[in-house]
Amino acid sequence: MSLEPFNRLVKLAARAFYDDVTIKGDNQPKAGRGDNRGMAVIVLDALTRRQWVREEDLAKALKLHSKQLRRTLRFFEEEKLVTREHRKESAKGAKIFNAAMAATADGQQGTKEGDEKMKMHMHSYCCLDYAQIYDVVRYRMHRMKKKIKDELDNRNTIQEYICPNSSCGRRYSAFDVLQLMSMDGESFLCENCKAELTESEKLAAEELGDGDDRKRRHEKLKDMLRKMEEQLKPLVTQLNRVKDLPAPEFGTLLAWEARAHAAAQATGDSNANDSSKSSQGQGYTGTPMPFLGETRVEVALSGLEAKEEIEHDTKPTSLKVLPPWMIKQGMNLTKEQRGEVNPQTKMEQGSSSVDDKKLNLDNEDEKSLQDEYLKAYYAALVKRQEEQEASQRAQQKTELPEGVSETPSERQVGMKSKREDGNDEIEWEEDPSIGNSGAEPYRLADLNVEADASDHEDEEDDIDWEEG
Amino acid sequence: MFFHITLERNMQLHPRHFGPHLRDKLVAKLMKDVEGTCSGRHGFVVAITGVEDIGKGLIREGTGFVTFPVKYQAVVFRPFKGEILEAVVTMVNKMGFFAEAGPVQIFVSNHLIPDDMEFQSGDMPNYTTSDGSVKIQKDSEVRLKIIGTRVDATEIFCIGTIKDDFLGVINDPGATA
Repeated sequence: MSLEPFNRLVKLAARAFYDDVTIKGDNQPKAGRGDNRGMAVIVLDALTRRQWVREEDLAKALKLHSKQLRRTLRFFEEEKLVTREHRKESAKGAKIFNAAMAATADGQQGTKEGDEKMKMHMHSYCCLDYAQIYDVVRYRMHRMKKKIKDELDNRNTIQEYICPNSSCGRRYSAFDVLQLMSMDGESFLCENCKAELTESEKLAAEELGDGDDRKRRHEKLKDMLRKMEEQLKPLVTQLNRVKDLPAPEFGTLLAWEARAHAAAQATGDSNANDSSKSSQGQGYTGTPMPFLGETRVEVALSGLEAKEEIEHDTKPTSLKVLPPWMIKQGMNLTKEQRGEVNPQTKMEQGSSSVDDKKLNLDNEDEKSLQDEYLKAYYAALVKRQEEQEASQRAQQKTELPEGVSETPSERQVGMKSKREDGNDEIEWEEDPSIGNSGAEPYRLADLNVEADASDHEDEEDDIDWEEG
Repeated sequence: MFFHITLERNMQLHPRHFGPHLRDKLVAKLMKDVEGTCSGRHGFVVAITGVEDIGKGLIREGTGFVTFPVKYQAVVFRPFKGEILEAVVTMVNKMGFFAEAGPVQIFVSNHLIPDDMEFQSGDMPNYTTSDGSVKIQKDSEVRLKIIGTRVDATEIFCIGTIKDDFLGVINDPGATA
């Protein structure tokens, strides 16, 4: 269940239909403090990044006045895009919501202060209603198209009449004509000024003025229809894309809270902080559904812990050594896991029981075998390297005369080529000493790759030993 | 559309009718009162087909009138949006024409008359096609579609169209006369 296509739908619809919507206060004069066009889009966009959100928090996040935001949200509620819920709640209720919020980890809802101060205040929450938005947008498009098409062929439209008297300008619909009929039955008269009414074209008249020119009006409407289809195309395609997807459903506020809370509980108390942190990171990526994906991660962790406890008695050596970068403060790890134990202590542990002893003996045999194998392997490696270098030397000797032009060009690359040269030098120097000892020289040659060669052996031994 | 439904009404009967034919008098008065009226809810009451039940009368203090609750069955007519009706043209002017389908008045504006019909003024104003084959004037019968209704408490007014397939004049009195 992905939110992404639906969020895109909301964003497209917001830009298509609510871009130039001004939300005015009831008692605010028309030429108020500048227009707030575009605010509707911003609010909708913000809501796509959230689930249920308390309106004060949203206002804070958007740096809007809460009254202004509420006005906008009421508008969207009437437009059926947003569901809102109001409830009286104490500080405790707010805490429940905050907990749910932390569980879903919206990421932007970090600011929560003054919870303790509240005493039974009315709080409003809002949330996008994706299923309904889909329907609303479709219905709106349908109505738009139908209106223009009806007007286009004059079908199913109720004629309107307008008083030509500019001081009067009354409008009448065809339903009123019975009362407006003049005495001779020839025309309709304005109730107010007794002037003869003229027909008004609903859509085109405003731009064309005189409605008599039917042909021009027709073309105008056709143009309008074409423009509409053209401009709303992305929205239509998005609608089609979303058509077969299940709409994200957050349920009522209470249900959502309960669900989020349950999800938080499932992760376990000790891990709660971690989960919220990790999911906060995810909050921006558009899938704020922590109870779907992340709980699984947590469960796996706890499962591992349980396994640890069981296996600790029987097979102490089977614990994996965690790499140092994985070990964080506060992690509950045994020493074995940190890799601090050397083979001797392990052997001591093993000798505590007879069975383990035998197993250990076997292991030791195997270990010596593997050591020998390793030595042989390294020796072979060194040999091969020698051979390679020898052949390289031979090649370079032969190539030297022709390679003059080539080498400078390689130098031009800069640092890289220089370092390669350095490498070569080291290898050249070491050549004589290679034959003496088994593994060491290879290591030296490989120094730039593995800085901690001394640790290397221990670790490798460990691993081998475990495998036995 | 016509419906046959059961309605209720409280009838007030003058004391002078109290006598052997009280019931007949009551029904006659019901018909006189109700038939032809219009209610926004049920439409026009066309005819009463029967009286189901007459309840106990209640004498009103002071006047001596008696109130009977009467249950009766009636045929009602209520126009709906989208319904096709046959109607008689009653008046034609340049704004369109008026027609009546029984008790219902319908207005068809000139935008809802096919584009090829032109208004012709004169002592018999009419809408005529360019070749004169079809003419809408007073007393023409037309088939029209209702595209809007205005239902008041005591009145129903409709807007109709003849700009659709199979709509328009169904007989022309001018041609036969």
